Amino acid sequence: MILAIESLSKAFGGLRVVDDVSLTVPDGGLVGVIGPNGAGKSTLFSLVTGFVAADSGDVTLDGRSVATLPASGRARAGMVRTFQVPREFAHLTVRENLMAAAPEQSGERLFDLFFHPAAVRAQEEGVRRQATDIIEFLRLTAVADTPAGRLSGGQKKLLELGRALMTGARLILLDEPFAGVNPLLIEEISQRIRELNGRGIGFLIIEHDLGALTRLVATLHAMDRGCLIATGTPDAVLSNPRVREAYLGGAA
Amino acid sequence: MEAYFVAIAIIVAIYTLLALGLNLQYGLTGLINFGHVGFMCVGAYTAALLAEQGWPAPLSFLAAAILAALAAYPLGLVSLKLRDDYFAIVSLGFSEVVRIVVTSERWLTNGVQGIPGIPKLMGFTGSGLVQASAVLLLLIAVNIVVILVMRRIVHSPFGRIIEAIRDNEDAVKALGKEPVGFKVRVLMLGAALAGIAGAFYAHYIGYVAPDQFIPLITFQIWMAIIMGGVGRVSGALVGTVILMAFLEGSRFLRDVVPFISEVEMASVRLGVVGLALILFTLYRPQGLMGDFTRR
Repeated sequence: MILAIESLSKAFGGLRVVDDVSLTVPDGGLVGVIGPNGAGKSTLFSLVTGFVAADSGDVTLDGRSVATLPASGRARAGMVRTFQVPREFAHLTVRENLMAAAPEQSGERLFDLFFHPAAVRAQEEGVRRQATDIIEFLRLTAVADTPAGRLSGGQKKLLELGRALMTGARLILLDEPFAGVNPLLIEEISQRIRELNGRGIGFLIIEHDLGALTRLVATLHAMDRGCLIATGTPDAVLSNPRVREAYLGGAA
Repeated sequence: MEAYFVAIAIIVAIYTLLALGLNLQYGLTGLINFGHVGFMCVGAYTAALLAEQGWPAPLSFLAAAILAALAAYPLGLVSLKLRDDYFAIVSLGFSEVVRIVVTSERWLTNGVQGIPGIPKLMGFTGSGLVQASAVLLLLIAVNIVVILVMRRIVHSPFGRIIEAIRDNEDAVKALGKEPVGFKVRVLMLGAALAGIAGAFYAHYIGYVAPDQFIPLITFQIWMAIIMGGVGRVSGALVGTVILMAFLEGSRFLRDVVPFISEVEMASVRLGVVGLALILFTLYRPQGLMGDFTRR
């Protein structure tokens, strides 16, 4: 099991945004989280990845608790998130966006930059090759040297996925990878996720587009008003009366 | 007339050093440093006091750079964990604290009277125009070295990360890198440059006093990098030249425009620079060297 979320809770003021949520992602798993607006999905992501401090509960990655690590530490531990509204480095090119994500670069240390230039250059070549491979895999070659701020919504989602891949993450958390993406590109992104999952990378995906997500994941969790209300195969979860009620907005 | 141009060129070169530091901090990393003059002040007083003790210039300049950088370290650590706009306020406060400290600690700094009699640099070359030209050449050499170092930084993994921090700090954290360390280093580097600029300034003017280090200096440097082109190494130089052209050029307005007294002239100069800044932000927001998106 790569990720275990145990009884995670968070309240903003009196509002319990995430209420005692537990779920797991198996090694190489492909798991989805659905729920209506305001169900607490994005907050759950922020709690898991350390962008928001949890009130209580634990997060373990490969059996080791990461609850005390800051966001950057959790990412270095192998768990990388993307954002609902893409956060590209707008003034860097697609290639530079990816290269920036490579871990442990000696050229990020000023001392090495000026006193070990040969080692920095050699590593930089490796990073550049790796970025080129990922750009080709994600079919972003045509925009590789375009500033990322000029990309379309779908291309930015792919860019964020590419940056996550550059870090060598074993678990990638995608926050609405299909939101604001044209339908053709949705299928394209789904296909890339399947291929990456085939190589052993785990995914936890939040999504509004139920159709695309249910075709993609093996396990689905449904949230409503901060609570986990259903877990199972996509078909089972979608036919669950509590899930239908949450989505159709029936009287509680 | 030659002496006048050499004098202006020396000030331009000193300001360019300050602008290169601020450009690294704001243009590349997005740090809103409103306290640049505080680090210049630390450098100027360090150089002045050590010169008084008979230290050779290379050593006192090194000390000026190191002390200015060390002054930036705690400031960075404390405030860079806060939001960007808080850093702007804290840095402005820092530079005022520095100015008040050098005003109050009379035993060390001689208070408002300041420290006079700082020896000229390059005194062995002679005096007058020859000596001033030698100082100018030294400043140009220092600027060239700094520009080369900046270019190396910009085109490196370090430069990539600081620009990524400027564009989106949360995304940098999400990729497993901690922005605070990078920001502290950038702040210290920029402060060291301001410290060296301050040391040159102290030796060039010949005395230091607290009223030379008012926030106006910081904002003149801001004007320079905005007009020159934020995020461009060349913009720091070009912007400083434009700033000085407006500041000094408007001096000659008095010969053309009648009925302006000496006192009014000071306000007119600031007005002219202010107008230039407004026109730049309206018609060329990316600055003269332009294109914020490309290096």
